[in-house]
Amino acid sequence: MKLLNVFLATSALTLFASQANAVDLEFYFPVAVGGAAADTIQSLTEEYMANNEGVKIDAIYTGSYADTTTKAITAVRGGNAPQLIISLSTDMYTFIDEDMIVAWDNYLTEDEQKNWIGGFYPAFMANSQTEGKTWGIPFQRSTPVLYWNKEAFKAAGLDPEKGPANWAEMVEMGKKLTVKDASGNVTQWGVHIPSSGFPSWLWTGIVAGNGGLLADDTGKNVNFNSDAAVGALEALVSLSSKDGVMAPGILDWGGTPKAFFEGQAAMIWTTTGNLTNVRTNAPFDFGVGFLPGLKQNGAPTGGGNFYLLKGSTDEELQAAADFVKWATAPEQAAKWTIATGYVAPRPDVWETETMKDYVKGFPQALVARDQLDYAVAELSTFEGPKVTQLLNSALESAITGQKSPKEALDGAQAEADAILKAYH
Amino acid sequence: MIGETTFDRVLIRGGGALLALIWIAPLAYAVWAAFHPPAFEARFELMAPLTLDNFASAWSQAPFARYFLNTILLVTMILSAQLVLCTLAAFAFARLEFPGKTFLFTLILMQLLVMPDILLVENYKTMRALGLVDTIIAIGLPYFASGFAIFLLRQTFMTIPKELDEAARVEGCSLLGLLWRVYVPLGKPAMLAFGLVSVSHHWNNFLWPLIITNSVETRPLTVGLSIFATTDSGTEWAVINAATLMTSAPLLLGFLLFQRQFVQSFMRAGIK
Repeated sequence: MKLLNVFLATSALTLFASQANAVDLEFYFPVAVGGAAADTIQSLTEEYMANNEGVKIDAIYTGSYADTTTKAITAVRGGNAPQLIISLSTDMYTFIDEDMIVAWDNYLTEDEQKNWIGGFYPAFMANSQTEGKTWGIPFQRSTPVLYWNKEAFKAAGLDPEKGPANWAEMVEMGKKLTVKDASGNVTQWGVHIPSSGFPSWLWTGIVAGNGGLLADDTGKNVNFNSDAAVGALEALVSLSSKDGVMAPGILDWGGTPKAFFEGQAAMIWTTTGNLTNVRTNAPFDFGVGFLPGLKQNGAPTGGGNFYLLKGSTDEELQAAADFVKWATAPEQAAKWTIATGYVAPRPDVWETETMKDYVKGFPQALVARDQLDYAVAELSTFEGPKVTQLLNSALESAITGQKSPKEALDGAQAEADAILKAYH
Repeated sequence: MIGETTFDRVLIRGGGALLALIWIAPLAYAVWAAFHPPAFEARFELMAPLTLDNFASAWSQAPFARYFLNTILLVTMILSAQLVLCTLAAFAFARLEFPGKTFLFTLILMQLLVMPDILLVENYKTMRALGLVDTIIAIGLPYFASGFAIFLLRQTFMTIPKELDEAARVEGCSLLGLLWRVYVPLGKPAMLAFGLVSVSHHWNNFLWPLIITNSVETRPLTVGLSIFATTDSGTEWAVINAATLMTSAPLLLGFLLFQRQFVQSFMRAGIK
């Protein structure tokens, strides 16, 4: 592995040595996991510049994903597009529709297309390729997992080393873990699946666990009201209404780790992006496991990809692509994963000494990687924000009991079909 | 006049107190969360330990000193430019005759009707053409000629008695002298009121500064605050509230100190 790195580095060096004139690149990146991550990206770009004379990269921290997208679209329209941005993997169809990104394939040799692109986890590439082209390179990618409080498990007479293996077990354990005080108020809920803002993300995982998929890889067809999907939503709603193991109503996303730390919920579903946070702040031992599935294992992926933007010379885009090749190479990707908790996007990253040491002290980090074998694409379609939003509203109306799951999903399917008709 | 009964008084005072309470609640929560350890974010215990750690951690997560400087430069620059430009324009519209006056004034009024967000891309193109992307001037430039300020000051200047104007002219005052000696002093309450609106608006403006700036050297506080939007790793309310208090403190303090003047000038200028 080391040898390969040296080889890559030298080949990159000779490549740049042959290009005499300097290249200035702009690179917008959002960070969704706390301030220190931005410093990691800065130091990565500085390291790259120190080793590659003639390339100047201006790494611009652009706040949240939404802010980054807004800023990038404005810059493209204003004729001042950055060469490189990190944005949500689900933005792919939107960006293609806006005609603002170029495929990576033009800037890769055939060998790189095969070995470099082929070296990423297929689960992550599902949101990065369409129509035979690669539009995104996985970088800050995550997947949701289940965290459980070992002390609460012990107190409930459960084996603290074993999380729920499937949905039925989760419900059963949840019943034991739900604790009420003398006056009948719940002081600790069994499970907490957040549903504020973007409930569709975690729900995609429940659907996958029930053997269903929400969209195909053309971005033009959705399948919101399949039997698997309806069953998944019914199971989710039942957690509060029938099983009594989850607090009723919409549960806040941002407050989920807090609810876990303070013992308000014994099991939580949230992103692996939270691993570092939970590890630092949980006042008890915790376990991490796959999302328990109704029929099988299943989870969505999430997070951000690198995109190449239109509007620059081929030379600049080539330089940007070369930087990305370097940034996703094992040593760099390992640093990034350890700093943030994001899932390293390539199997070879996990083979580095740095990662092996990290995993030795913190085996929970492996769960997300192993879950990738069962992961499906996050919902992504043309008119993505609209389609996702109407699905989110439908889910919320079912969770709050305004509509039955079937009714809500039939409605969402009809609305989505109407929007996507334009693309057929 | 109908006398105020005790019941009326209780109702009025009670209603006022209730509104004040609703208004102050978010601020009170921000203060609570900012000064207590994160464990007490949602638990309100009188004896909870006080701490300044949240401020320290917020301060260390972003170069706030630089952001403060940028924001102060920004609002000072915008307000000075607005006052100079808009006073001159308002005076012209109020007291001078020139061809196309009504048409031009209508154009300026239309600026009030256009949502600034629609102009983002056009403004960006202009700044790029001027080579000003990623400068503090670029954040402020689109706001220098404020339609609102011109309108407000023109209306104020129109109410100033013509006699004062004529008396000054008879005494041989030049046009600019007239503006400076008669109109500006009498328009002060309106200017002060506008100043408050302008400063607080630009202190809090987010979208345009986010789009046009790229570096720590130019970004204002609001954009700096967005570093705490950490949706993937759970929200640290304590730190966010500390950072928010820090960034809004100067405005709050300023308002508390000059409260009387502000309220009076608003009443005189007739805007709320």
